[in-house]
Amino acid sequence: MKLEELAIHVIEAAEATGVDFMAVGAIAAGAYGVPRSTRDVDVLVSMELPDGVTEIVQRLAPFVVFDPQVTFDTLTWGRRHVGQTRSAPPFKVELFETFDDPFVKSEFSRRQSVFVPLLQRSTWLPTPEDVVVQKLRWGRNKDLDDARDVLAVQGPETLDMAYIETWCRTHGTEDRLRTALEGIPPLE
Amino acid sequence: MLPAMNNPHEDPAALKALQDDIYREKILRARKQTPAERLADVFELSDHQHQLMLAGAMHKLKTRDIHLGWAEVGRWMARLDRVRENGLYVTERTS
Repeated sequence: MKLEELAIHVIEAAEATGVDFMAVGAIAAGAYGVPRSTRDVDVLVSMELPDGVTEIVQRLAPFVVFDPQVTFDTLTWGRRHVGQTRSAPPFKVELFETFDDPFVKSEFSRRQSVFVPLLQRSTWLPTPEDVVVQKLRWGRNKDLDDARDVLAVQGPETLDMAYIETWCRTHGTEDRLRTALEGIPPLE
Repeated sequence: MLPAMNNPHEDPAALKALQDDIYREKILRARKQTPAERLADVFELSDHQHQLMLAGAMHKLKTRDIHLGWAEVGRWMARLDRVRENGLYVTERTS
């Protein structure tokens, strides 16, 4: 299976379930920054339908084996469901549940639809500003690189920097934002 | 005979300039693409990288059995997940 085929399965499962969702992780960062390889299809799933994630997991069962154990991230205590493809390559699907977090609510409410010819369908993505804020909040090396890449490719002059700065102040990540901006070389 | 070249690793300023040049090229290339084109690159790079990993795994195992190769790639990725996710995810909420 190719990664794009897995992405189509995940999108179709979410749409058939009728839940609101958006792609996050490397796919979202790659849409706005410098594309990089990944093994994950990461999706943030609305919990407005209480059994929505369970139904997506069931719909993906022919292709993906999910770990029955839900995990929590230690940064925000969000819930994550992790699955691995039944066939090679060993790709992963990560389903993150929306939860009562002001930034997650804001990010999800601002999601936008993007048509992807390779997938022959539209999918939902966060805004580039929200990718930057989220990546700076997580703060792993690859997240910081992704945030800098989105800032560099989009250009701070085209982004709503006031929005980004407000959330960075809330999350205490202003230093990470400053470092990311300083890491962009002159482009002329 | 080729002319002698300076080694940028011996000159921090030259090394930074080289790094900036490489990064600048990546940024400018990505700026010419649409979000859909960049997404297509994510998928292509990911599929290609996994094929390279499969080749590396089969070479390491000295096998032509593709299933053994993918199993080895899976083992590598599981190890990488344990390193990258160490302390980041837990199975019980503690606060």
